[in-house]
Amino acid sequence: MNIIETKKLTKYYGKAIGIVDVDLDVKEGEIFGFIGPNGAGKSTTIRTLLGLIHPTSGGATIFGKDITKFGPEIKEEIGYLPSEVFYYDDMKVIDLLRYSGSFYKKDQSVIAKRIEELAAYLDLDLKKKIDDLSYGNKKKVGIIQGLLHEPKLIILDEPTGGLDPLMQQRFFELLRKENKKGATILFSSHILGEVQKLCNRVAIIKDGKIIKVENIKDLAKNTHKRFKLESPTKIDPAQFISLKGVSDFVSTDSGVSFLYRGDINEAIEIIAKLNLTNLLVEEPDLEEIFMHYYQTDKIS
Amino acid sequence: MNVFFRELKAYQKSTFIWIASLCTLVVVFLLMFPAFTKDVEATRAIMANLPLAVRNALDISLQNFFTVYGFFAYLLTFASLAGAVQAMNIGVGIISKEDSGKTVDFLLTKPISRIKVVTNKILAAVFILLLTNLIFILVALSTAAMVSVSSFDAGLLLLIALTLLFVQLFFLAFGILLSVLIPKIKSTISVSLPVVFGFFVIGMLGAVIGNDNVRYICPFKFYDSNYIIDHSAYDIKFLIIEAVFILLAITASYVIYLRKDIRAVS
Repeated sequence: MNIIETKKLTKYYGKAIGIVDVDLDVKEGEIFGFIGPNGAGKSTTIRTLLGLIHPTSGGATIFGKDITKFGPEIKEEIGYLPSEVFYYDDMKVIDLLRYSGSFYKKDQSVIAKRIEELAAYLDLDLKKKIDDLSYGNKKKVGIIQGLLHEPKLIILDEPTGGLDPLMQQRFFELLRKENKKGATILFSSHILGEVQKLCNRVAIIKDGKIIKVENIKDLAKNTHKRFKLESPTKIDPAQFISLKGVSDFVSTDSGVSFLYRGDINEAIEIIAKLNLTNLLVEEPDLEEIFMHYYQTDKIS
Repeated sequence: MNVFFRELKAYQKSTFIWIASLCTLVVVFLLMFPAFTKDVEATRAIMANLPLAVRNALDISLQNFFTVYGFFAYLLTFASLAGAVQAMNIGVGIISKEDSGKTVDFLLTKPISRIKVVTNKILAAVFILLLTNLIFILVALSTAAMVSVSSFDAGLLLLIALTLLFVQLFFLAFGILLSVLIPKIKSTISVSLPVVFGFFVIGMLGAVIGNDNVRYICPFKFYDSNYIIDHSAYDIKFLIIEAVFILLAITASYVIYLRKDIRAVS
């Protein structure tokens, strides 16, 4: 069964494009990644699903129910965590969470217990005032308010900002646990690594349009690495250009940089012989993947 | 109802301060009443010496000023001004504060319809104003009973006192309408004060130049105290004007807010 299904979902802000003809289906029990550069339309899609903005044309269903007609009913089973969280500064954390819980039909004592559990797990002080919390701690409040009613669908819009690596790990662990219990997750991000860690399938969006929907395994197969080498002497470009899987090769006086997709050992073998001052091997950012994977691959 | 109670709590402190200020105003003013009426003729002579324009601007009517009704109506001019600011602040703020505080995402992703959000907020606002008026009226009537030498008609005093509520309801509705029309409200005061004082000045100027038509657009002049004192009733025309205005403003506010796109915070 499809938990989320959008049909030609389109949103224009005046004349500016938000999203165009977005067709998505997120199946029950999967962790679905939604990835694209900033401003590509991830948030617009999510905000439309949540009824915060109204579609220009097209439509969507969640749990098989139309989002414009059954908004409140659908949201009973949705947990949402945005990238930036803002809560009532005058409230204490516990008051905010109780207030959040009071919107749901679920037994309030169950919710109260769940708040305690989640707060302990995330190491959050419930007695503090919202105003006194650090950004990361506010984020934890966001996580708890999104999960306290054990929603069937969890929607996350670039949720990891502000969380330190340890908390990020716990957060992902929490999501996996919810997923095992049966929750479907829509996870939007502009960081490929995050999505790869967590998701089963991923949709790639750019300029308001879905470019591709793939299994994460297929995407991982095509992992590119960006190599940046710095050297006091000029590096001979020929040895890299002849290496299979190198693209976007740039040579400057201080070093070289290129994208590499292939056996990592072959690259290391060449690099080992060089006299270097610095070496960086990074995940390429999304723009680069779009530029050098999706476009060039299609041509070749 | 959780939104309703949340709003009551959020406005608890400011409501308390408004009630305390309004009550202080009415008590202090009414306690001065005996001093004014001790030597009516002398005070009246002083008042009569003021140019008519000044008296009109200050809303002093020689025929009623020295009765407890006239005196109370006079102080109500200022109470209404303060009350209008209170109501307008709530009206402008109660919905838009979710925007300016960026909490609107939190609220509207909960299982609650926008209609219910607006309804709960309006009910909370009306409740706050009713509570304010209830306490204000109780304090006003008991103080009046204390200072008045002759017996007086509490019903008539109540009629006069209730005009505060009417003025407040007008500004509440107007404030709500403005709050959904103006895209980004950084501070409620910057919207409410100019509007309230604008209307007050319009009313004052109208009285000075003797233009009666101003009454139709200025809520401060809807309920003329001399008319109420003379007839023991409101001028029904203005009750209807106000009711129609409130109905239109609130309906428009619902329609606009329901269709509004809540854009991502930037």
